[in-house]
Amino acid sequence: MPGLERRFQRTLATDHELSDFLKSVERRAFKRTAFAVRDDEAALDIVQDSMIRLAEKYADRPAAELPLLFQRILSNATMDWFRRQRVRNAVVQNFSQFETEAEGGEFDLLETLQLAEDSVGTESAADSVGRVQILIQIEQEVSQLPQRQREAFLLRYWEELDVAETAAVMGCSEGSVKTHCSRAVHALAKALKAKGITP
Amino acid sequence: MSGIRSSDAGATRPPNPDALEARIALRIARALSERSDELPHDITERLRVARMRAVERARELRKFSAAPAPQLQRGGAFVMSGPPSWWLRLASLAPLALLVVGLLFIQSSYVDQQVRAAAEIDAAILTDELPPQAYSDPGFAEYLRSPHSVE
Repeated sequence: MPGLERRFQRTLATDHELSDFLKSVERRAFKRTAFAVRDDEAALDIVQDSMIRLAEKYADRPAAELPLLFQRILSNATMDWFRRQRVRNAVVQNFSQFETEAEGGEFDLLETLQLAEDSVGTESAADSVGRVQILIQIEQEVSQLPQRQREAFLLRYWEELDVAETAAVMGCSEGSVKTHCSRAVHALAKALKAKGITP
Repeated sequence: MSGIRSSDAGATRPPNPDALEARIALRIARALSERSDELPHDITERLRVARMRAVERARELRKFSAAPAPQLQRGGAFVMSGPPSWWLRLASLAPLALLVVGLLFIQSSYVDQQVRAAAEIDAAILTDELPPQAYSDPGFAEYLRSPHSVE
């Protein structure tokens, strides 16, 4: 994101800058939305709506503001989708995984990282063949995170927003963002370690 | 991610838990980025089309907002350009003026109707067989208030 910001530092976003910005975020936006709604078609619709909303309402804003605005629009559009689904189905979504306390047990994050460090540069050809499978498993674990944790994690570390920006997009405090991120990272590291994967 | 050096992990100082978390998180994020680079063609195409639509929409809106004020031409009688002239402002007030005139007309006709109705009653009373003095007669007034008078 710092790179992005530098690229879009000038005052008003031109068509070219808007296009470049959308191109730089569209894939991550799609994946992030697909993680949330678990439906590729719906995710595509949500991303498209968000792009149009950004273009209609904020195209005259400075280019540097586009990343945060777009993430905010995308999050709102995703929440709107959930609300519509709830009304349409008249069934409350199962958000039991919305907030789960981090399970107890001794889990050593340092150990996980150390294993990862040890494995740097030792990936064999056979490993690289299975790398796609590992990436898929990592993606699955991310998709299984509780929604708020996943949202915080992806905004903070994938979209590279800072804590304050992530809090603004999620509509929560910075402390909550830190807590969500920490729990998400621990949960992912633990789950991946259980599968023999060191991120 | 690129700024993270693996050799840092081997440092002797105790690792900062936040830094550890961040490093693992960034590794996972990098894995996600790798996966997102391998999206199916139909999805990337739809994203491309969505992006183009959004940019096109922004372009349209910019053109619209940058366009000069609309020209008003009425049968070639006069042409107005630039910022809205007093003719245009006057024309925009016409519906409001019409509304006010209409309301005044309705009120006036309502008052006329009331006056006409009162006049008819007066005329009926005055042309009736009963002389007007009867209304000043206390007995007749009592008769009018009695239940029989209703029948």
